[in-house]
Amino acid sequence: MSLIEEVKQRFTDQADDSLATLAAYSRDATPEFAGRPDIVVSARSTEDVVAAVILARKYGAPLIARGGGSNLCAATVPISGGIVLTLNEMNAIKEISTSELLAVVEPGVTTVQLDSAVAEKGLLFPPDPGSRTVSTIGGNIATNAGGLRGLKYGVTRNYVLGLEVVLGTGEVIRTGSRLVKDVAGYDLTRLITGSEGTLGVITEATVALRPRPATSAYGVAYFDSLSQCSHAVEAIVSAGILPATLEFLDNVCIRSVEEYAHLGLDLSAGALLLFGDDGDEYSTKTNVDLMAQLCRNSIGCRGVTLASNVAEAEALLEARRCSLPSLARLGTLSILEDIAVPRPMLAEAVRRIQGIAAAESVVIGTFGHAGDGNLHPTIVVNADDASAVAAAHRALEQLFGIALELKGTITGEHGVGSAKLPFLEARLGSEQISLLSRIKQAFDPDGILNPGRLGS
Amino acid sequence: MTSKPFSPDLLARCISCGFCLPACPTYALTKKEESSPRGRITLMRAVQDGQLHINETIAESSFCLGCRACEPVCPAGVEYGTLLEEWREAAWVGRKRPLIAKALLFAVSKQWRVRLLGILSRHGRQAPTEVNLMLGCFERALYPKMAATVAKLAPTISTPPKQGCCGALHAHNGELALGEEMAKQLGKQLPGTIVTTAGGCAAHLAGVLGRDRVREFSQWYLEQASGEFQINGRRARVTYQDSCHLRNGLGVANEPRMLIAKVADFVELPGASSCCGAAGSYSLLQRNRSREILDQKIKQIEALDVDFVATTNPGCTRQLANGLKKRKSKVAVIHVAELLARSR
Repeated sequence: MSLIEEVKQRFTDQADDSLATLAAYSRDATPEFAGRPDIVVSARSTEDVVAAVILARKYGAPLIARGGGSNLCAATVPISGGIVLTLNEMNAIKEISTSELLAVVEPGVTTVQLDSAVAEKGLLFPPDPGSRTVSTIGGNIATNAGGLRGLKYGVTRNYVLGLEVVLGTGEVIRTGSRLVKDVAGYDLTRLITGSEGTLGVITEATVALRPRPATSAYGVAYFDSLSQCSHAVEAIVSAGILPATLEFLDNVCIRSVEEYAHLGLDLSAGALLLFGDDGDEYSTKTNVDLMAQLCRNSIGCRGVTLASNVAEAEALLEARRCSLPSLARLGTLSILEDIAVPRPMLAEAVRRIQGIAAAESVVIGTFGHAGDGNLHPTIVVNADDASAVAAAHRALEQLFGIALELKGTITGEHGVGSAKLPFLEARLGSEQISLLSRIKQAFDPDGILNPGRLGS
Repeated sequence: MTSKPFSPDLLARCISCGFCLPACPTYALTKKEESSPRGRITLMRAVQDGQLHINETIAESSFCLGCRACEPVCPAGVEYGTLLEEWREAAWVGRKRPLIAKALLFAVSKQWRVRLLGILSRHGRQAPTEVNLMLGCFERALYPKMAATVAKLAPTISTPPKQGCCGALHAHNGELALGEEMAKQLGKQLPGTIVTTAGGCAAHLAGVLGRDRVREFSQWYLEQASGEFQINGRRARVTYQDSCHLRNGLGVANEPRMLIAKVADFVELPGASSCCGAAGSYSLLQRNRSREILDQKIKQIEALDVDFVATTNPGCTRQLANGLKKRKSKVAVIHVAELLARSR
């Protein structure tokens, strides 16, 4: 029997190799990457995942675990065929414990589904990637996704207590536990978090929750330039405030977002800073008022407005989350990057990015999580203009160069995938790269799990 | 097969972010990428690039409800409805068009056949004026009293007998050019403002003739609504199911709700913006899928403890009435115009 035949025999209606299905799973949210799988299997249980891994191992076929398919680094594109294993049907929220502040979930639950469910019990699941309506918890963990609340709350890794994982051998392990304190053994939970499906397939996660803040408040400040906006960010953090939200958009982004969301943004401003905090009413108000004051005192500030109600604040946040797709209106190919630099280097990074855009004559819209030093410069060109596409790729390499020169990183929260793998060694050094591959060997001796990524 | 069935600009707009997935009723049903708007666009691209034969995509092109719930949630502004029309035009050529679709299109493609569908009542024997009522083809057959209801509410509105089909059914079933031509013809037959009680027709007409020429009934009547809609001597409790194309195509969602709230106790239906499964000819072409979607909808309606569920499109009226009847529900379906006509 062949791989396809045996997979079909085991999985019957859960397996599909029709040409349309294979085409649909040939890509994720990353432009310029595609590859056709041999078959797509939808897992409904840990046993299904084990069976799929064992079959993949038997035939030496690649196995790519996939959730919402919203990652931006081509981490789930089946570049060398094989089985795409979808986990969207494993979407049960098994338990929410208010006394332990945790939830136990299957990997296919979306971020919004989890956060809405825990909200009913007065709790919060803080990591909120821009794609939170689509992204699944399994995918968030596999890519160690960030979000808009990173500065105050951290990212996905800070909320994973324990995992059930199927290794490349077909063995099922449980890492971590339900405990805040548990130092028995290597911290495999953290190792698997961000491993992009190369070490194991996550089949269950125990995630930490927080009490849901009673109130939140937001404001918007406009600046003449993005560098001036960056200085205001430094002033805010230096003043001892750790706000939930400090997001910025440059002029290109402001205009695109406004075209989609119609919020009445100041289209002539060089940069917009969205700031906000949550918590009890008093401290939230104090922090937001202080941030507004610090912005007003900052050089190049054109004005500050505070959101007057929840709907207005929600609209601002939603608009920020839609920055990328809104930018896509400007051209047919948008390459989104995800560099991060130490906070004091933010203004310098912004200055250099603008330099690249001018030198290569490409449109670069920059938005990002200013509080985390995490920037999303997005290069937008027309896909059928070969010279523009070439310029975009030159700009891309220079962006990574900037990040490393400023002691930052090539990806803050999107992951390495196929898109940034060529630049990984420059970031980690050859010794660490070879350690990655030795770790990979221990988890997945036959190299079937998402081959060609991270430790390969 | 045409080598390039899709407008390149429309196709290029999608960046595959996947923000449309949670809005798609068929994706909710299957959790499969190819049954999502993003996945379908990936299929269209594969066809456009010659990597996939269009025949491989016929099943998915038929499975899509065409409800366009993916459009308002798309920050990149992808015009999915237009892409779907192009898709079906290329995929459903000749023999591959479902038989029932052929029969439906035959029934409405000539004006005399449309008139046969429902002999317009005496209210429908008027010359065109500044504001004309346009009735959906199947609305005339299924709900022949609609013209009289509207005439009672708004005596100034005229219902000329000489009106063909708007062509929405054609555009949605793979006859794009014909669908557009029919809308233009209708625009000539009904000069001035066209008011319609069929949300699906409204969106298609507005797409061809321009938004300033077309008003859905509740949009047009909002200011004039008065009275109270009662049942058993008390103010009725009424919920509302959106007409997909009215909401997603024409952007009309608040007006019907405001209108209902004026004359009755309005109760919001969770998931009202999600398709009921009627989706034009879909309930006939994809019976089982349509029923699966309808079953969920009926459960949501029944959970509300309301007297009525109001609609703005005959297809939704028929679909919901069937579903509620099957479950022997006490909830009744009522068109918004009918609800107003019964308010005092």
